[in-house]
Amino acid sequence: MATQALRPCGDFKSSYAADQTIFPTAWSRNFCILGVVLVAAAPFLVDRYVLTLLIQIGYLGIAALGLNILVGFTGQISIGHAVFFGFGGFASCFLNNNAGIPPILSIPLAGLMTTAVGLVFGIPAARLKGLYLAIATLAAQFILLDFFGRAEWFTGGSSGTVADPVSLFGFKFDHDETFLYVVLFYVVVLYVAAANLMRTRDGRALVAVRDYYLAAEMMGVNLTKYRTLSFGISSFYAGIGGALYAHYLGFMSIEGLDISFSIQFLAMIIIGGLGSIMGTLMGTAFMVLLPQGVNFFARSLDGSAIDHALGLHEGLPFLREMTIGAAIILFLIFEPDGLAHRWKQIKAYWKLYPFSY
Amino acid sequence: MDFHLLLQLSMNGIIVGTLYGVVGMCFVLIYKASQIVNFAQGEFLLIGAWVCWWLLTKYQLPFVWGFLVTLAFMMIFGFLLQVIVLRPMIGEPVISVIMMTIGLSIFFQALMKWIFGVLPQPYPPVFAVKSVNVLGLEVQTVYLMAMAVSLVIMVGFAWFFKMSRMGLAMRATSFDQQVAQSLGISVRQVFALSWAISAMVSAVAGVVVGVVNGVSSALSFFGIKVFPAVILGGLDSIVGSVLGGLIIGVLENWAQFFDSQFLKLGNLYEVAPFYVLIVILMIKPYGLFGKRDIERV
Amino acid sequence: MNTLKLTLMLTGAVALAPSIAWADYSVGHLNDFSGGTADVGKPYGQGVDDTFAYINAHGGIAGTKLAVDATDYGYQVPRALAAYKNWTGANKVVAIMGWGTADTEALVKNVTDDQIPYVSASYAGTLTDPTGKGGPSSERAAPYNFFYGPSYSDAARALVQWAADDWKKKGGQGKPKWVHMGANHPYPNAPRKAEEEYAKELGFEVLDPVVFALTPGDYTAQCLTLKQSGANYAYLGNTGASNIAVLKSCETAGVKVQFVGNVWGIDENSLKAAGSAGNGVVFPVRTAALWTDSVPSLSLFKEIAKNSDPSGSEYKPVHYLSGVCAAFYLKEAMEWAAANGGVSGPNIAKGFQAKANWVPKGTEGVCKPSTWTAEDHRPTLSVDLYQTQVTGPTDAGTVSELIAKGTMKLNKVATIDLPRKKEWIGY
Repeated sequence: MATQALRPCGDFKSSYAADQTIFPTAWSRNFCILGVVLVAAAPFLVDRYVLTLLIQIGYLGIAALGLNILVGFTGQISIGHAVFFGFGGFASCFLNNNAGIPPILSIPLAGLMTTAVGLVFGIPAARLKGLYLAIATLAAQFILLDFFGRAEWFTGGSSGTVADPVSLFGFKFDHDETFLYVVLFYVVVLYVAAANLMRTRDGRALVAVRDYYLAAEMMGVNLTKYRTLSFGISSFYAGIGGALYAHYLGFMSIEGLDISFSIQFLAMIIIGGLGSIMGTLMGTAFMVLLPQGVNFFARSLDGSAIDHALGLHEGLPFLREMTIGAAIILFLIFEPDGLAHRWKQIKAYWKLYPFSY
Repeated sequence: MDFHLLLQLSMNGIIVGTLYGVVGMCFVLIYKASQIVNFAQGEFLLIGAWVCWWLLTKYQLPFVWGFLVTLAFMMIFGFLLQVIVLRPMIGEPVISVIMMTIGLSIFFQALMKWIFGVLPQPYPPVFAVKSVNVLGLEVQTVYLMAMAVSLVIMVGFAWFFKMSRMGLAMRATSFDQQVAQSLGISVRQVFALSWAISAMVSAVAGVVVGVVNGVSSALSFFGIKVFPAVILGGLDSIVGSVLGGLIIGVLENWAQFFDSQFLKLGNLYEVAPFYVLIVILMIKPYGLFGKRDIERV
Repeated sequence: MNTLKLTLMLTGAVALAPSIAWADYSVGHLNDFSGGTADVGKPYGQGVDDTFAYINAHGGIAGTKLAVDATDYGYQVPRALAAYKNWTGANKVVAIMGWGTADTEALVKNVTDDQIPYVSASYAGTLTDPTGKGGPSSERAAPYNFFYGPSYSDAARALVQWAADDWKKKGGQGKPKWVHMGANHPYPNAPRKAEEEYAKELGFEVLDPVVFALTPGDYTAQCLTLKQSGANYAYLGNTGASNIAVLKSCETAGVKVQFVGNVWGIDENSLKAAGSAGNGVVFPVRTAALWTDSVPSLSLFKEIAKNSDPSGSEYKPVHYLSGVCAAFYLKEAMEWAAANGGVSGPNIAKGFQAKANWVPKGTEGVCKPSTWTAEDHRPTLSVDLYQTQVTGPTDAGTVSELIAKGTMKLNKVATIDLPRKKEWIGY
């Protein structure tokens, strides 16, 4: 739940507009801008490996935000997010290769195409609740994946399709250093858009649907419309994320679009915090950096006494998987509201010191 | 229309469907008792299969003893799992619980691969007669055993839920936890017992599949296949899940028949259950036998 | 006094530093020890790792050691990509030992742009055309992709040829029936076009393919369909685990078909799991000898295996031997590059293309002669076909014991030498 941040004394709002700002204080706004500037300066500061991680966090974060809008803000469940992500990627390659549309345009268009598919799935999904919805999205995952593998005209069948790099006025964004800016642009635009959505009438309606849909219905919120809309928006984000992924790799195939990828998206938003936009980015960063961290940890242990004692060398790859599973479990037990909540607690502690208890 | 092939495929469908039904029963048991969707059901099969294999090959136990020890182990395992990991999740939103079981499934998959390796392992021969001829189709003896065991389990469950005190307590808890608690039923015991039984019965299915195909990490896919079966039958109906499993088993094989004879799409066997799932959910959102969820304001 | 000592030590360290930090040759190694193809990825990956350790222990490449960065990517493309980015950063690798179809296909464009030779364990026909224009059906240009062994398409053609000869030998009447079985996935589908085309050419009746998933399961339904279709020869396109499931289901269902597979489809480990169901399967082997043959070069392989198996008693399957051969080819290509302009990506690629009918030193009789040219990256068109033989129960005992007892055997049945046709390149 998006709770109000603690306001320091003396920070009054005297107009509705001031109350509705995305950033509650000047500090938080400035920090955000600083963050964006730092990321923009990253190609000059860090090496390619870190840039890859930042780009991954970028496009996965966009898709995860879509899922958070669906799950965290509207209270639906989707275990099929990976295929929407994949659809966006394939759509962008399809437009690019067959209709000759340059990637700079095909990425948003792919997002729109994915929205259409999302709306198609949203309509029956609006009738289902809870578990049934989860399982219906699971079925959608398998069905769409099968469709991708079969539809050679669209996806290149099981062997995938090649994608061109993004280019603007002849300048190609095909290196990590330059592609980072494309991803950064989309991240900023889409995250601000999501934050903006949440303070509009439609955003409040989505939250109402999540919190108490019977009451929302009685107040005149059209449940079917908003549930379907939620699917559509979430698919739009997933489609853009997928399209960025396709143009980054230069190649798109169904490999890796399986159920465990959908589960990873769910893990990102749960660890980050359901219903929190900043939390989505934190959760994505966590999920991207966790395997790298385990790798690093395992490598430093390689050959040492612990390694021999536990027979770790053989089991290191499994240790990585187990850590991801364990991370999900531990987060759910100890921090069910996610990293965003923990961050707010830390901020509150800092602000209220020494009175926090 | 090759009726002979159709008949054989239908028979095969019933046999495989029984297994789906067994796994479905375990799934529904957990859901009925503790309102948790167990995405780690497939891993229960896997753990049961591996433990039984290990007992049979490392300690050379005869099959019956190994099987019984596996069942005992799985009971304790299910109980411990519920107590340690799932009790803190009582009251959390559905999505968190689903994620928890998903996290468990990821964890156990990797753990099994670490302990037992990635290569598929065959079971030692269990029955003297490997296969029996039923109506022209060669059926593996172990499948017949599975059918027999499933029937016993189904009858046992039916008796348990209708006649015994504990079964009645479980039904009460699944209907309304708070009222059951206020009447003196120990909800914690009910939860623990339901998980223990479910883990145990899953092990049965796991051992059967292991004997037929060898144990490997992909056994846990059964846990995903079971979803169409339980949705078809209704998430809170045990009889429904068994019927759902049978229907899905037969459906898969019929899909294979039509696919190979007429449609030539190639993949219908795998995806047909999911198409049916979507159709069922659109027409009857609570499955064939599930209770309609009436909402009171 | 202490400061003087300290300064002297530091100066000494700084003076020594250049020699310590002498640039080793960086080589990347992608393997799958934990993902979907781990059952065959483990022996191959071990073979590569052990060979690199052996090379480093015996002088490296012309005196310089190899700094191998081995990454288990679990058959997930994003992880392979992250590893690749890591390898093309500040400390760029000079070559990469890759693994599966997924990562190889995803990285073709990247390695071509970055000019890094990529030795894969994916033998897809689409990787065999360096120029992209070699043949009419060629799918893409892959000048920096190499692999050791016949391509999937050529191996499938060899199997078709063997099946045609086998049909004649058995005295079969009429047109024999061929069916391709596999998942709808890049790896099993890779040879389908070439395989079915050649089968038609040799007079087979090609039936509709039978699809079964890459995961093990119950495939009785597919087996019944297979039985009813009356196929004579069935090509199993998946990896070991699911192939075993099919073999077992079909054995129970009483299907009488001659199964053939590709190089990853069946091996000693899968044979143990399959038991009697795996008897009689014909498949290609990339090396000219098996672990237990009496070829003098095998002593080198056994020496190399001591890195992962110090006792020396473990039987190493066919994939291990192929991994060692692949790593040796890279080693000799790097040695050629070191002597001809320096060890860099493009020079190593030239090194691969420098010799004809090349067998790495010390592996004669095991690694088969291979030739890569600037127009043709098919190293060999000579395919050795072996047939599995299981004469008893395989559940008890390790693979080493079963082979030693003779319960499991691999017998050579044919060597098919295909013509090096230009039209067959690239698909």
